[in-house]
Amino acid sequence: MITVESLHHTFTIGKKGNEKKVEVLKGINFHIEQGEIVAVVGKSGSGKSTLLQIIAGFMRPDSGTIIVNNTEISKFNEKQSAAFRLNHFGFIFQNFQLLPAQTVFENIELPLKLKGVRRAIREKKVVELLKKVGLTEVADHYPNELSGGQQQRVSIARAMITNPPIILADEPTGSLDSQTELEILALIQKLNKEENLTFIIITHDEEVASIADCKLRMTDGLLVGGMTHVI
Amino acid sequence: MLFKDQLQFVMQHMKKNKLRVTMTVLAAMIGCAFLIVLASIGFGIQHTLKSELLNDEAITQIELWGDDTLSEKDQAYIQGIDHVKVVLNKADISGMVKSTLEDREGESNSSVIDMAAQKKLPSDLSEGRLPEKADEIVVGYHFAQNLWNEADMAEIERKSKEAEEAGTYYDGSEEGYKGELLNKEITLQFFDDELQEYLEPATFKIVGISKKPSYDWVSDSKILFSDALLDMYPDLVTYPTSTIYVDSIENVMPVLDELKEQNYQVYSQVEQLEELDMFFLIFKIGLIFIGTIAILIASIGIFNTMTMAVTERTREIGVLKAIGASPSLIQRLFLMESTFIGVLGTVLAIIVSYAISFAANAILPYVVSYALPEEDLSTYQITFSLIPWSLVVIAGAISLAVAILSGLRPARNATKIEVIQALRQEL
Repeated sequence: MITVESLHHTFTIGKKGNEKKVEVLKGINFHIEQGEIVAVVGKSGSGKSTLLQIIAGFMRPDSGTIIVNNTEISKFNEKQSAAFRLNHFGFIFQNFQLLPAQTVFENIELPLKLKGVRRAIREKKVVELLKKVGLTEVADHYPNELSGGQQQRVSIARAMITNPPIILADEPTGSLDSQTELEILALIQKLNKEENLTFIIITHDEEVASIADCKLRMTDGLLVGGMTHVI
Repeated sequence: MLFKDQLQFVMQHMKKNKLRVTMTVLAAMIGCAFLIVLASIGFGIQHTLKSELLNDEAITQIELWGDDTLSEKDQAYIQGIDHVKVVLNKADISGMVKSTLEDREGESNSSVIDMAAQKKLPSDLSEGRLPEKADEIVVGYHFAQNLWNEADMAEIERKSKEAEEAGTYYDGSEEGYKGELLNKEITLQFFDDELQEYLEPATFKIVGISKKPSYDWVSDSKILFSDALLDMYPDLVTYPTSTIYVDSIENVMPVLDELKEQNYQVYSQVEQLEELDMFFLIFKIGLIFIGTIAILIASIGIFNTMTMAVTERTREIGVLKAIGASPSLIQRLFLMESTFIGVLGTVLAIIVSYAISFAANAILPYVVSYALPEEDLSTYQITFSLIPWSLVVIAGAISLAVAILSGLRPARNATKIEVIQALRQEL
C-alpha cells in the first residue's frame, strides 16, 4: 500500500550567509498495509509533520522513495502531486481548514468540484456522507456556526468524499476537548472498519495513538524501534 | 473543475468584496470610456471632412491642367482609358460678362463648354436644355438674384447697413429679378482685356438654368456658352481646362495613375481623400495611444485588487492546493476574476461612450453656435464624435488585454503559495 524507503530531508534555516542545515529525516523506512490505522508519534520537532507533508507531496524529499499503490510519488512535480492527492489522499487538519465563506455542504463537495464531477452526483454523495458523519441538520450552516467537533466532522467528510484509499490526519484532535476527541476517534475507527480506509495519524497524544493498529515512534528524524504493532 | 463551477467560485468571491470590485470596475470603465470618447473625436472630424468631400459632385472628376486646349490625339487616348466616361473641354472666359435685362444689370463669370460632351453627362440643369446655337446660354441657379436695378441696390445698401450695425452680414439674396428667366432674351457684353472696355452688346437667349449647388453657401450666377461662341468671338481670351469624368469613385485612382504615368498634369479630390485618410489614421493612432495611458492607469487598480485578493485568500489557496487543486486551476480562477472586471468595465465603457457621443453630437452644435455667433454652422453637418465598430473592437481588445495582463502577475503569485505556509495562516 505505502512503502517508504531511506527517506532523507534537510531544512536550511537562518539568514543568507549564516545558513544552518538541519536534518529532519535521517533515513526513514516503513511499510503500511491497506486498511491500517497508523499513528506517527513523537515529540515536537521529531520530524513527524515533515514526514506527513512529504508523503502528501507538499514538499519533495532530498532522497529516498515513497511508493503508494505501486506508484513512485517522491519525484512528482507540483501538478502531478496535486492530481495524485486529489485521487488518493484525504486530509484532516488540526484546525480543520474549512473555507469560511462556504457552507458545510459546499466545503464537503469541494474535492468533487475539483475533480469535475457533475452537480447531481455531487449532491447525492454529499447527502450520503453528511448522514454518515451525523451532520445532515447543519448542511447549510457556515463553519463559524459549528462547534469544533462538528467542524472536524465536516473536515473528515471532505477528506472522504472522493473515496480516497488513504486519509492523512495531522493532529486531528489537537483543537478539541477530551469528550469531542473521543467522539472523533470513534468516528475514525468506525470509518476505518466500514470503508477499509487507511489512516496515517500524526499525534503526540498517546490517547489518540491508542486507536492505531501500529505506531511509528519518531525521535530526532529517526524511527525508534521500527513499526510497533499494537496488540 | 467544470467551467460553471469555476465561474460560480469566482462570482462568490467577487460578491464578498463588492465595494472593492465595484470601484475597480469603475476605474476600468473610466479608462476605456476615455479611450473610446477621445478616439471618437478623431473619427468624427474625419467623417465630417470626408462627407464634405464625398458630397461634392467633383469627386469622380479628374482635372487636367495645361496651357493649350487638349489635342484630338490626347482626347482620343484619354477617352480610350477604361472607366473614363467623358472628357469635357471647357474654357473660362477672361473678365466678367455684363448682363442687362430690362432695367437690371449684373456681372458674371462665364465659360465655353463642349456641349456635345456635356450632353453625355447627366443633366445638371434645374430646368430647360443645353445650348445648341452660339446665341443660346445656360445661366446659374442664382443668376436672377444678381440682376439688380437702382431700387434693389438702395435696398441692399440699407439692409447691409442694418446688418452691419447688428454685427452680421447681408448677402443681397432677397433682391434681384423675380420673374421667369427661361426663354428670356438678355443682352450680354464681353470685356476686352487689351482695350480695358466692354465690347458691343449682343442678345442671347436663356435656354437652361443650372441646378442648385450642393452647398447652401455656394452662389452660382455663372453663364455657360456653347463652344460655337468662339466662332462668333474668335478673339476672346480663354483659359482652357479639361475635366475627365470617371464612372465611379473606386476607379478614379487607377485612371489618375495611368494619366500620371503618361506625364499628364492631373488632379483629383480623391487624392485629397487618401491624404486625409492617412492623416487621420496617424491622428487616431495618437489619440488611441493617449487613451491607452488612461487604461494603463486603471490597470494599476486591477493589479492592486487582485494582489489584495491573493493575499487575503492565501489560506484558502493553501486548502485548495492541499486537497488537490492544480496550480493552473488556481491561476485560472484569479485570471477569470481580473478578466471579469475587465469585461464588465469594457461593456459599461462602451455603453457610456455611446451615451457621451450621442450627447456631444446633440449638444455641442448649440454650444459652438452660442460661443461663435458670427459663424452659421446650421448649413454644415458636423459630427463631433463618431464611434464605429472598429473603434469598439480596438478599445475593447486593449482594455481586456490590459485587464488580463494586470491579473497575470497576482494569479501567478497565487500558484507559488506554499501549502504548508498557507495552512499555518490564521483566519
